[in-house]
Amino acid sequence: MNGGGALPGDLERGVIAAGEEPVVEVAPRRPPLTPNEWIRRNLFSSWFNGVLTIVSGALVLFIGFRLLRFVFVSADWTVLKANLRVYMVGRFPQEDIWRVWAVAFFLAMLVGVSRGVLLPPSRTRRGAYVRAVVAVVAVGALVYLVESLLVWLLLAIAAALFAGGVAAGRRLGRRLVRPILIAWLLAFPVVVVLLSFGDVGADRWGGMLLNVIVAVAVIALSFPIGILLGLGRRSSLPAVSWFCVGFIELIRGVPLLTLLIFGRFVLILLLPPGLTFAQLVRAILMFTLFSSAYVAEILRGGLQGVPEGQYEAARALGLSTTRTMALVALPQALRSTIPPMIGHFISVFKDTSLLAALSFSDLLFTARRASQSFEFVGHQAEALLPAAFLFWVIAFSISRWSQRVETRLGVGER
Amino acid sequence: MNAPRDDKTIILAEDVEKWFGHFQALKGISTTVGRGEVVVIVGPSGSGKSTFIRTINRLERHDKGRIVVDGIELTDDISNIERIRSEIGMVFQSFNLFPHLTVLDNITLAPRHARRWPKPKAEEKAAQLLDRVGIPEQVGKYPGQLSGGQQQRVAIARALAMEPRIMLFDEPTSALDPEMIKEVLDVMKELAGSGMTMVVITHEIGFAKEVGDRVLFFDGGLLVEEAPPAVFFSEPTTDRAKLFLSQIL
Repeated sequence: MNGGGALPGDLERGVIAAGEEPVVEVAPRRPPLTPNEWIRRNLFSSWFNGVLTIVSGALVLFIGFRLLRFVFVSADWTVLKANLRVYMVGRFPQEDIWRVWAVAFFLAMLVGVSRGVLLPPSRTRRGAYVRAVVAVVAVGALVYLVESLLVWLLLAIAAALFAGGVAAGRRLGRRLVRPILIAWLLAFPVVVVLLSFGDVGADRWGGMLLNVIVAVAVIALSFPIGILLGLGRRSSLPAVSWFCVGFIELIRGVPLLTLLIFGRFVLILLLPPGLTFAQLVRAILMFTLFSSAYVAEILRGGLQGVPEGQYEAARALGLSTTRTMALVALPQALRSTIPPMIGHFISVFKDTSLLAALSFSDLLFTARRASQSFEFVGHQAEALLPAAFLFWVIAFSISRWSQRVETRLGVGER
Repeated sequence: MNAPRDDKTIILAEDVEKWFGHFQALKGISTTVGRGEVVVIVGPSGSGKSTFIRTINRLERHDKGRIVVDGIELTDDISNIERIRSEIGMVFQSFNLFPHLTVLDNITLAPRHARRWPKPKAEEKAAQLLDRVGIPEQVGKYPGQLSGGQQQRVAIARALAMEPRIMLFDEPTSALDPEMIKEVLDVMKELAGSGMTMVVITHEIGFAKEVGDRVLFFDGGLLVEEAPPAVFFSEPTTDRAKLFLSQIL
């Protein structure tokens, strides 16, 4: 660590002021507004606001109407129905599809338990509305899209495992935190083995499945690597810090697609002969390098937010530099960087659609191929929109869950 | 390592100088602190008093002179430094508790990881210390849930958990609301009564008179005056000390 300059007296006072007990004042309750009052106060408080309300209201109605008409009347979703399986798993062999279901069951249970442990049951009325709408949309879409009874049965099992996991997680609570962490650490190898042992090569993975696998692999790998880079950047050894800074700046200065193309076409020429990786491994490698640099930068911001007094207190207690970092600075930095970190991981997930540009048959690639088939000429929108919608649903869910987890973790601290 | 050891002296400073860039914060400080002595340091802000006690546990390294703590001279030897630091407790003006850890974990962190105590031993010690500072019921809370006075008492317990031979206090009550100052001073008085060697920067004259053995007056990076509290506060000899006292009394 750096030696600390002159004692910044004013700064320390600032820290104290921020750490003082919060003063909680309860505002006097206003009587609830009648609908008329509410409309007048919030929508038509002035002449200009009135016009704004009318114009934007008309726009919302117009777009909403067109959208609903498209979804329920003019669109022909046969293209989605015919390709649903491909969207989900690509060209995964039919006789091995049980492997995907096994993975789905495993993940449904794990996510359910995690949710049960980490999140208190949502009791707000708005939460209930949102969940009701989501359930109706999901069930409606499935009723339309899924005809096979077997698939319905399997979906029901997955849903039951999820619900059971939530219930178990709530009941057992915090005791499960350590088992869950271990299960998540094991999850990735388990999933890869489940999907590929025997004869299903990674080249047969596709659709949503491929996006999810690549995203999870990249996140799992780049998080620890990024932390090491971020810490290395602050190292007092010049060789280490220069290497880390050089790596981070190099990677951040290059567009991701360029890195991926490099991995696909150039990397192979630089590696010693005989040392080759599968295409997918190289893509994951490049994604990981890219993501690690960003994780390191996010962490740097978090570490800068840890006050100098924390390092001083740890050193004054006789903790070594390494222990000060591991036990005092890093935990605080990681906690304060949860929001940007989750945001970055959501980006990683969305960026996996660049796999399509490398001709991997991921969700976007599959959707484009479906949109270009002769059979469904004129229905590009119906082929492409579901892919976008799926990406959005997953990214949005991660975002919402992470916000609630963050609120939960923040309780009573700082 | 094997500097001549005088059993009465626990801290020896000889002509200690310290620069921050071109600014000289300490201009040759020489003093000793005896075992079990309570030394109170006073002086205007920027006088170097804080820098001085920070050189004693090497939060600042001195540029010239010699500091010997309990027979060990402070040098750049790292293992040496960590050993000395664990013998010296420090309490900061802004508490500097670890906000991500509970009160219990704040106190047991250093004993468990720097002293390698088993968890039960560290927790037992923590419970004793929380009793001693009068807040055993706060053991499971986070620092952010405590009042300033409670936080500072936890900080004292945290420093005591390493069983230090010397305690340094850097304006421990300056950040506290008036009604919380007493609860912290009471803990410090009890500690002084138990025979702990203490070096305390404070403007609490009452505390200095009651438990202080000696007052050091710092001004402009110099140790200007050194006297028992009864003498220093009633008949200071230097003009600078007279001026300072007229401003704070």
